[in-house]
Amino acid sequence: MEIFVLLKPVPEGESRLRVSADGRRLDLDGVKFVLAGYDESAVEQALLLKESAPGSTVRAVSFGPARCEEILRAAIALGCDAATWVEGPSEAAEDPMVVARALATAIAPGGASLILAGKQAGDDEEGLVPAAVAERLGVPSFGHVLDLRAGPDGASLRFARATEAGTERWECPLPCVIGLQQAWNDPRTAKLPNILKSRKAAIAKVAWTETAAALGAESRPTNRPEAFALPPPRAGAKMIEFKTPDDAAEQLVRALREEAKVFP
Amino acid sequence: MLDFSLTPEQESLQDLARKFARTEMAPRAAACDKEGRFPEEIYRKAWELGLMNLNVPSEYGGSGLSVLDQCLIVEELAYACGGMTTSIIANCLALEPILLGATPEQKRRWLAPFCAEYHLASFCLTEPGGGSDAAGLQTRATRDGDDYVLRGEKCFITNGPHASLFTVFATTDPSLRAKGIVAFVVPGDAPGIVRGKDEDKMGHRASSTGTIRFEDVRVPAAQRLGGEGEGFSIAMRTLDQTRTPIGALATGIAQAALDHAARYSLERKSFGKPISEHQAIQIKLANMAQMVSAARLLTWKAAWTIDRGERGTLDSSIAKCVASDSALRVADDAIQIFGGYGYMKEYPVEKLLRDAKLTQIYEGANEIQRIVTARELLRRYA
Ligand SMILES: Cc1cc2nc3c(=O)[nH]c(=O)nc-3n(C[C@H](O)[C@H](O)[C@H](O)COP(=O)(O)OP(=O)(O)OC[C@H]3O[C@@H](n4cnc5c(N)ncnc54)[C@H](O)[C@@H]3O)c2cc1C
Repeated sequence: MEIFVLLKPVPEGESRLRVSADGRRLDLDGVKFVLAGYDESAVEQALLLKESAPGSTVRAVSFGPARCEEILRAAIALGCDAATWVEGPSEAAEDPMVVARALATAIAPGGASLILAGKQAGDDEEGLVPAAVAERLGVPSFGHVLDLRAGPDGASLRFARATEAGTERWECPLPCVIGLQQAWNDPRTAKLPNILKSRKAAIAKVAWTETAAALGAESRPTNRPEAFALPPPRAGAKMIEFKTPDDAAEQLVRALREEAKVFP
Repeated sequence: MLDFSLTPEQESLQDLARKFARTEMAPRAAACDKEGRFPEEIYRKAWELGLMNLNVPSEYGGSGLSVLDQCLIVEELAYACGGMTTSIIANCLALEPILLGATPEQKRRWLAPFCAEYHLASFCLTEPGGGSDAAGLQTRATRDGDDYVLRGEKCFITNGPHASLFTVFATTDPSLRAKGIVAFVVPGDAPGIVRGKDEDKMGHRASSTGTIRFEDVRVPAAQRLGGEGEGFSIAMRTLDQTRTPIGALATGIAQAALDHAARYSLERKSFGKPISEHQAIQIKLANMAQMVSAARLLTWKAAWTIDRGERGTLDSSIAKCVASDSALRVADDAIQIFGGYGYMKEYPVEKLLRDAKLTQIYEGANEIQRIVTARELLRRYA
């Protein structure tokens, strides 16, 4: 199988975020970008499939500005065989449709038998790109997937989807695009020697000029963020002074009922 | 060309160590400390990730890191637990004599199989009769045909109760002092090795420390590192390499103490305001931050010196000494900022003080570091 994993660099969880000077977006200057959340599960799934089907290769692909490099190296350190940086300006990376078109254009000639992605990105959680890539490539797409295996004939895939109502089981012909749930497969940690090796690995690059030429007018973002506001600071916590556990419970229930109005 | 920024490679090593420290080590640190438990499952995981034989070149199955890169990792690990870190880096100490003194053939024989699996090694220099005066060691190496016979006792040996390989320093003739010392590689299952009990320690309680008795242990001459009389130099050059990461270990403990204290000072109120608004606490925090920065920068400087190929005795002595003294004071200040809670085992800072204390003692007590520093210093004026 030729497996492609689509990865998005997202700000590290502990980042201190600020709004940019124009008030439209996050100021990403100096923010550290990482491979995280759903995407880690996607890489893990790709590697598990590769291990179960010898001869398979996994290629990590990321669209956006130079910050893609770090997460592609992280993916190589985890065990991906190759990586492609689909270069693109930050504004283009803000529009999921442009991201999907650029990724599909870069992937199309590669003969992918399977395209994996996180079911949504770890930062904005929009979840549009996998389906849009599938649409563009004319192949089926599923989100919220877990527990994925190659089908018995090697030409299909079997997996489960977690829904509100219960678990669905599916079989789908390859190629297809799959968006994975987070953390159900306990993503591995890269080993130190592989981290060192990943620093020297070659990363293929698709230049933005090339992608823009192929997409023409479709390379222009149509969405433009209007304004961005951080959540209001939380009010301070209230500490309950108490003498006995019963006393603490009584005060807590009263506060929940009368002050926080959590229940009547 | 002075530059304190880390390369992306160094950042990714640091990220790996931080992640391991916070997800694997930190959650178990308090319990291992309380029970004096040696968490072998954590050490095994550290080995799997390549966090154990940091100084061994990759051709022998280690990670082959520069001293600076080792320091970045050790600081992150020690932030979570000093004791576990001591046991994780003890292999670096034990294997360094082989890196420095072994022939290529000996390196292939002893390092490659050792590093290919999870194994612990111990460095056996200190003896019950004295640690600081290493030239005065008494363990005897008596030549007998193609072998040596080792007889004597080593104490305070990190990972000693669990090690499958020892590097041992012994003397062919105590009256020769330094000139009589020989270094050997001894497998852990050699007949005549008697392991003492695990010591009950003040800190670093997740690490294991014990006595190793050599009761006529027969060691082929092929397991000698360097020539007779070269052992002392191998031991001293080993400590020149490993002293700097102890500075990093102390820095990690100090940083943890500062972080705990700063956060607590913002939460705890007295006289109607957070204690962080009392100037006495601010001054304490400022002093702590100064000490942490000094510890880290001196450690990096020493590592940088050694990585340039210099011996670095002066820089590494200064770094180890300042960082360990700082760690003790910063941990002490952290307890003070926590007040009565700081004295309680339920809070994390009293452990930091107990763990910091060891960094002033092992790998050359700080008195000895000061003697070395003064000697190196005065040489420049003489
Ligand atoms: C937890 C732990 C782990 C250890 N791990 C190892 C290990 O893996 N391998 C190993 O070989 N050793 C190990 N050690 C031993 C350690 O390196 C020694 O304890 C240390 O070198 C000091 O030696 P000592 O205890 O014999 O003290 P001594 O040498 O007896 O010194 C006692 C005191 O006198 C001071 N002193 C000594 N000589 C002088 C002098 N000339 N001038 C001024 N002051 C002096 C010392 O600084 C110290 O304060 C470990 C120790 C501990 C506690």
